[in-house]
This record gives sequence, C-alpha cells and structure tokens, in this order.
Amino acid sequence: MGKFLLLAFRNVFRNRRRTIMTLLMVGGGVTGLLLSGGFFAFMIDGLREHTIQEGLGHLQIFTAEHFRRDEVRVLDTGIDNWRQIAATIQAGPHVRGVAPRIEFNGMVSNGVKSSIFMGSAVDPAAESSLGFRPRISEGNDLSSKPTGEVEALIGSSLAKSMNVKVGDGLTILAVTSDGALNGVDVQIAGIVKTGYDEMDARYIRVTLASAQRLLQSDRVTNLVVGLDSTANTDAAAAALTPRLQGLPQKVVLKKWIDLATYYLQVRNMFFGIFLFLGIIVFFMVLMASVNTLLMAMFERTREIGTMLAMGTPRIWIVTLFMLEATLTGCLGAVAGVLGGNLLGSIINASGMHMPAPPGLTVPIAFHVLHIPALMIASSFIVIFSLALASILPAIRASRLQIAEALAHV
Amino acid sequence: MSEIVKVEAVTRSFPLNHDKTRNLVSALNHASFQVQAGEFLAISGPSGSGKTTLLNLIGCIDKPTSGRLLIEGVDTSKLNPGELTELRRKKIGFVFQTFNLIPVFTAGENVEYPLLIQGVSSGERRERVKEALAAVGLSARANHRPDLLSGGERQRVAVARAIVHRPALVLADEPTANLDTQNATQLIDLMHGLNKRLGLTFLFSTHDARLLEHTERIIRLCDGTIQSDSLADPQIETHPLHANAPNQGGNHGQVLAASLS
Repeated sequence: MGKFLLLAFRNVFRNRRRTIMTLLMVGGGVTGLLLSGGFFAFMIDGLREHTIQEGLGHLQIFTAEHFRRDEVRVLDTGIDNWRQIAATIQAGPHVRGVAPRIEFNGMVSNGVKSSIFMGSAVDPAAESSLGFRPRISEGNDLSSKPTGEVEALIGSSLAKSMNVKVGDGLTILAVTSDGALNGVDVQIAGIVKTGYDEMDARYIRVTLASAQRLLQSDRVTNLVVGLDSTANTDAAAAALTPRLQGLPQKVVLKKWIDLATYYLQVRNMFFGIFLFLGIIVFFMVLMASVNTLLMAMFERTREIGTMLAMGTPRIWIVTLFMLEATLTGCLGAVAGVLGGNLLGSIINASGMHMPAPPGLTVPIAFHVLHIPALMIASSFIVIFSLALASILPAIRASRLQIAEALAHV
Repeated sequence: MSEIVKVEAVTRSFPLNHDKTRNLVSALNHASFQVQAGEFLAISGPSGSGKTTLLNLIGCIDKPTSGRLLIEGVDTSKLNPGELTELRRKKIGFVFQTFNLIPVFTAGENVEYPLLIQGVSSGERRERVKEALAAVGLSARANHRPDLLSGGERQRVAVARAIVHRPALVLADEPTANLDTQNATQLIDLMHGLNKRLGLTFLFSTHDARLLEHTERIIRLCDGTIQSDSLADPQIETHPLHANAPNQGGNHGQVLAASLS
C-alpha cells in the first residue's frame, strides 16, 4: 500500500504546472471560504455580544404569564417580589449583576406633535454595573440619583421628528395597571443612537422609579442578568433554574438566544450565504477537476493499459485515480488554509472597515476570525469535491480496452 | 517439454465502423500452433500482418472472434475478466516496443511492480528485484528514473520487469524496434541468455533480422495468415508440433519427420 500511495503522490506532481494550477484553484476556494466564513463568524460573534451588551443580558427572568400579557397594561403580569428574586440570582454562579427593567410603550408629546414610543425603564446604577450603557450622541446618561425633573433619554430620529433637543421638555403618556391614562413630564437628558434606525425613531429611556410612578405600580416586567462570560450561559441557567422554583409568583428564566430574534435571523442569513458560497466552491472545484483529471487520464492511457496488461486489478486503477485526486485536494486544502489564515491576519492587521449596512448607523470592522471548525469544513468541501470529480475519470481509466490503450499515441 | 500455449484455429476480426456485424476486417485467420516451455520463438511478418494481434490474444488482453486459446491447458475463453487479469498477473510477462515503464517509478520500482500487484512481501520483493536487475546488468541503475536511462537500458528494465515474477511466458512486442543496433544486439543476447539459463519461454513479434538470427523457431505471418512455422536451423525447416498446422506446406512436415527419424 505504501508503494501505491507513493505512486499516487508522484503522479500528483508529474505535471507540475497543471498541479500548481489545480492547487491554486482548490486553495483559492478554501481561502475564499475561510475569509468569508471568518468574516461572517466575526459579524455573528460581534452581533451576539453587541446584542447582549446593548441590554439583552445573558439571562432574563419573567413571570410565567408575561408572554401572554396585554400589551397595554404591561405591569399586570410584572414581577412582584423582584428585589428578593434579584438577590437570589445575584448569589448564583457566574452572575455579575442583576438589573430590573420595565419595558413599556405609550405616547410622547411636545405640545405640538405626538408620537408613539417604546420605553425602557432602568436602574442606571445596575445597568452601569453590567456595562449596559446607552450610546449617547448628545447630552448625558440618566442620573443614578435623580433630583428635581424626571429625566429621559430619547432616540435621535424621534428627537428629530419631535424637533426637540437636550434640555427640552416632553410629556410621556401610558396606561396604568388600573387602565387609566397617566402622564408625566420629562426633561431630555440625552439623545441616543442605538445603531438601528427603526429603534431610534421610537426609543425613550427613563429611570425605573419614573416609570413605576407613571404606571402606578412597584412591579418590573423583567430582570436582566449579566454573566461573566457568554460561554457560561448554559451553566448559569442550569444552576439558577432550581433557585427560582417554589417562589410565591411563578417565574421563568430565558437565555439570551431565546430572546435574540434579530440575532437569530442574521445568523441564519449568514449561514445561508456561507452554504451558498460552499456550494459554489464545491461545484467550481468539481467541474474544473473533472476536466483536469480527464486530461490526465487521456495522457496516461498507454501507461494505464500497461498496468492493466500486467494484471493490475481494475479496482486498483480506480483507487489510484481517486487517491491522486484526494491527495491533490488535501494539498490544496493545506495551501488554502495557510493562505486563508495569512490573508486573514493581514486583513485584521490593516484595520479595514466596511461601510455601515442598511439599518445600521456605524461602520463595521473588516475582521476575520480564524476558526478551526471552518478550516476543517472548507477542506472537507474541496477534498470531497475532488474525490467526487475523480470518479468519472477513474472509472473510464479502469474500463479501458487494454489492447486499444496500448496502441494509444 | 510441457505445453505453455495452444492456439486452435484462432480468428480475430475487427469492425470497420460502428455496425459490428458488417464490414469486418480480419486481422488473424484460423491461426493454429503450440508453444512448448523453454522455447525462444519469433512471430515475424510485415507491418499489418497480425503479429501484435496474435500477441495480444496470447497475452489475454484481447479476445478471439473464434477459435480457442489455451495457456498452460486453461481455455482462456472460459475465464471471466477477473480470472484473465489473475492469469496475466501470474503467468505472463510483457515487454513492449516503447518500453512502457511507469515514468514516476525508478527502475527498481518498475521491476518491483508485478510483485507488488501479486502481494509479495516487501523483503522478498527486494531480493527478487535485485536478482532481476542483476540478470539484466542494471544493478547500478536501480534508483534511476526511466527518463535518466538510455533506450537500451529502459528495455532491459522492461525485460527485468517481465521476468521478475517468474512467469510461464514472456511476450515481447517488437522489443528491438526502438533500439539502435548495439542496444538491440545486447537485448537479443540478454533475452536469449535468460531463455537458456532460466529456461524462460520467450514469444516475440519482430521483423528485425538481427533478432530472427537468434531465434530457434519462426512463425511467419502475412495478411493475418500463418505462412510458415519453421525452426531457424536451416537443416530443420518445420517445427515438429505443427506438421499438421493449416497453411503450412506438407513438405515441411515430411522433412521434419525425416529429420527426427
């Protein structure tokens, strides 16, 4: 078998120029997959951490009824004893902190113009301790210990449409737990750019105490838990779930992945694009290799005839051709992995940025992650493609009529 | 002497176009003869006379249109492709006009190849390759690739490859056609020497007069028909085994009978 492998290996290099061209094609395919896949992975990882750090947190706790709630009276299904639950969670493994939230909505008016808003009421100190900081383009964050006027942060597009600036006053209106309409005057402390146009057109952020006063309730809609690392999400969830059993109010724990709908959509889209690229590379290598291997077969017709005449089993000829193609695929994959990592490192070092895509307001760093699983998958694609491409030439070679093959010029 | 090859009224026709039932051209017509172990036999004739066709049939790389062909008593028409491959692998050694060495293998590896496909152990392969290369005088060239060898050396490697697995029969198709006189003479001497020393049976096609001078028996073909089957010794014109072969003059048989008596 060793000699047979040696024969295959030497045959790979017998026409060096053609082999180099094949290796360039195969390696180019792998490099392309590594660069695109590495960039996609960077985008997906970045979006994941961005989603978590923008306020989603690693875990969230809701009441069991939260997901069947009335969208208007949001605190009807809120958490009563949230301080006790927060303390329980805080003592859990990998937990960095717990931030109470009220997610609500209503109307905002400047006396001339009104608009709907999506509000988020937070404890600024708790948010800050978890690293959840709003992207303030003008003004300041909410004060941890407010005095006097009720402060609010407002989305940039909403501020523009309402024609207000930092320091201006607004009235926000919402439905209380009793079903009554309540309003509170706020002063704009800062203007926020969330990074998403649609969000910027609806966003208002106030302190927890202000929202509770507006909604006439001491409840919160959810508790956001920040962990020491995203990788510990499952472990922390498993450890915390039993601690939430047996409470007077039934609560449920959700992982970030269960709540990150947008992240999942983007991730699936990137997976789809990568799969499409993989299929293109697969067929590109397949088609080009079939041609190259058929050429190699025709060039070696007499040699194959000689081997068959000497009594070489036909299956050996099939194996030899497939082995040669697989070896070429392996070498191409190695070249592609080296090339892809080298190019990726160069791109990363260059600090390139891509223009902001639709829906985002900030440019994206062009960074490529080096992912071993991606290297293995890309290599497998081209090796499998070449092995598949060799089947037709291999079978044709093995079925040659010996006498005709020996007379081949 | 035991019988190695028996050709019985073998005909080989080829279609001239895709319609295999019409326009057949006959490359070999009712050829019959036998080859005994240890013979050094030439098939001679002009180009297109059917020499290569006959050798291909005896080498089991082609099938006769009609007639029977037996190798060591085995009717090859009754063997399936796998059995034919095994028969070639074990019983026959091939020497080709254009050497047909595997270019990416060294001389030693080329000689080793028939043993490799027979599944001979590596230790035994090494020994037998050494012996075969020594037999053709190329021990010093074992590690050279074919492109670094002269034409004569390449053909000697091909001979070593053909004999290394100790076949019952060595078939050589125009082995001296691509060699100059000096190399052709050396190769003829080599094959003749192997025939004498090792008792190997050689059957080759040629129209090289230099090679015919050394043969013991010559089958002459013309237009696919055996014209004569004679011993090279001028005293004995016809081989005893073929006194009744078709297309031979009856006088040859009588001369032979007389000489034997």
